[in-house]
Amino acid sequence: MSEDTKKDSYEEHISGLTPAELAKALQTFCDKIEFGDAAQLNSCLHCGLCADTCHYYLASGELEALPAYKLNLVSAVFKNQHTRLGKITPALTGAKALDADMVSRWVDSLYGRCSLCGRCALNCTLGINISRLIRLARTTLASVNLVPPELQSTVNTAVDKGNNMGIPRQEWLDTLQWLDEELQQEVSDSAAHLPIDQSDTRLFYTVNPREPKFFPLSLLATAKIFYAAEESWTFSSDYYDVTNYGLFSGDDEASGVISARLRDSMHKLRANTLVLGECGHGYNANRWEAPEWLAGAYGFEVKSILEIIADYIRQGRIKLDPSRNQKRVTLHDPCNLVRLGGIIEEQRFILKRAVSDFVEMYPNRAQNFCCGGGGGQLSMTRFSKRRIEAGKIKAEQIRATGAKIVVAPCHNCVDQLSELNKEYKLGVEIKTVSEMVAEALVIEH
Amino acid sequence: MSLILLMRLLVVLSAIYCLIALTVLVARTFSFGKWPRYAKAQGSSAKGIVYAFGQGMLPWEKESASKHLPTFFGGIAYHLGIFAALLIPAAGLLQIHLPDIADSVIRILIVIGLVSGIGLLIKRLTLPYMRFISCIDDYVANVLVELLLLSALLATFHLAWCRVMMIVTIVLLLYIPMGKIRHCVFFFYSRILFGKFFGRRGTLPHPSIQD
Repeated sequence: MSEDTKKDSYEEHISGLTPAELAKALQTFCDKIEFGDAAQLNSCLHCGLCADTCHYYLASGELEALPAYKLNLVSAVFKNQHTRLGKITPALTGAKALDADMVSRWVDSLYGRCSLCGRCALNCTLGINISRLIRLARTTLASVNLVPPELQSTVNTAVDKGNNMGIPRQEWLDTLQWLDEELQQEVSDSAAHLPIDQSDTRLFYTVNPREPKFFPLSLLATAKIFYAAEESWTFSSDYYDVTNYGLFSGDDEASGVISARLRDSMHKLRANTLVLGECGHGYNANRWEAPEWLAGAYGFEVKSILEIIADYIRQGRIKLDPSRNQKRVTLHDPCNLVRLGGIIEEQRFILKRAVSDFVEMYPNRAQNFCCGGGGGQLSMTRFSKRRIEAGKIKAEQIRATGAKIVVAPCHNCVDQLSELNKEYKLGVEIKTVSEMVAEALVIEH
Repeated sequence: MSLILLMRLLVVLSAIYCLIALTVLVARTFSFGKWPRYAKAQGSSAKGIVYAFGQGMLPWEKESASKHLPTFFGGIAYHLGIFAALLIPAAGLLQIHLPDIADSVIRILIVIGLVSGIGLLIKRLTLPYMRFISCIDDYVANVLVELLLLSALLATFHLAWCRVMMIVTIVLLLYIPMGKIRHCVFFFYSRILFGKFFGRRGTLPHPSIQD
């Protein structure tokens, strides 16, 4: 099916929504609201101070991109359902029913003008978790199959094929075999290898499938670090995909299915720690959201590869020579890893020891601007133009640093930054933290 | 029963209604339930909440304040003016005579609050993006509060304005649970939830820099 045909049938679905579908969506909306959501949906003052915290609004100036407007779209339906004044005199409080028109606005603004980066939430005067409430609306739409088809297709591929790129098992194993040989050459040790399905290791390492598909050398970089640290680790031959686009589509059920596979692989392999590769949303999904989707605490540690590498440096398990990375380097903070994930200082600790000229971009850390690649935007091709436009803020941040290399510990961000690099002629290289560390690695054994 | 006594009674009854309605509203909010959180905390919810009500309220901690300092300080002045203005009907009800110095301080706070409130209203009326996100409730709430501030200020000069102030107070108290002024309660919940969320994840308070 072509993109245009998909778009048409999707829009036809919205305009032709049946009362039964709308009732089901509304039921989902009401069922998913918990105390905190209800309190926050009652809180917005419409002060508008969130406006310039959003890269979509800053870049486009379009009113439909205002975080307060996006929140209004959700709270309008809440007020219509759950407040007396909203039922009696909806115009007074801006209450509105969930009808085809509202669904259309939800899709346009809540899927099409939001990367769920959480920057508006961090800066909201009252502290309203706007991105969480926007995801609640996405969950509502997902319950009646109204996730934009391109994003839904990514989720479906992950559910059906075991990884979001649909990589066949043999292709994955062949790639690892090839990387095995590359690693042996790289470290001049025929005993070096990439372990697969080894039981009782300390770490079970998961990756973004874009790595084996398009950036295998990024996998090699991490393998080299594990080799240097003499780590006990393994890949899984079946489930290794750290991503979970259900986080972005809003489909909690699919999110649970995808996350359960990594949890079950952990149990099968009897590893101690689930290590999440450099993927922002993969970290948020598996570290923070998956136990909630699966309604149970994990009986094992879940860590980012950045925490592991930082520990190697602290413990003296790896040695780095920063003079091997002479070019000026800046760091992009992926929203799901940093603001929403809490992994803030490890990547800085590592880079300050792996490169000789590190500069911050501003603002940074929890206040970073989203690159525009999150929230499923890279999948939703129908909103690509907006995504590239919204990325202008990040492009300007990068340009101001004068850096030649932008390090992004997230493969979605790497993809978006690569597009921004071309569009805004930044003339930079985009790399992961592992790649920078592998370059600086001093192997002594 | 004299008219002034009747009005005092109505103010008390409206205040009782306001409190009951807000309590019911909070109870209804709680009735949505709370799901357990299973993910192991990385930071501290408690520290996050302390941050939310302490350091997190400072203007340089959030762009909504640091990039909008006139609005930030205007908002603080507006709220101080409201609290000061509410002392006037409260003193009247309790038949407390405020000392002159207190009267003067209250007047100054009310005037500053009034100017700030009108400034915020003008901002809402004139900026296209503010109009776009506003509903009738935003204007009604602002005008009602402005009327309270004005009538309370005038009442400090002439007792005849007390009746107007009491009527405005009654209307305002009846309106609070219905419109956006309910944030007088939900503000606290939102800040607590904000602190818990970012505190638990280790994002706030800002982790110390590792060098």
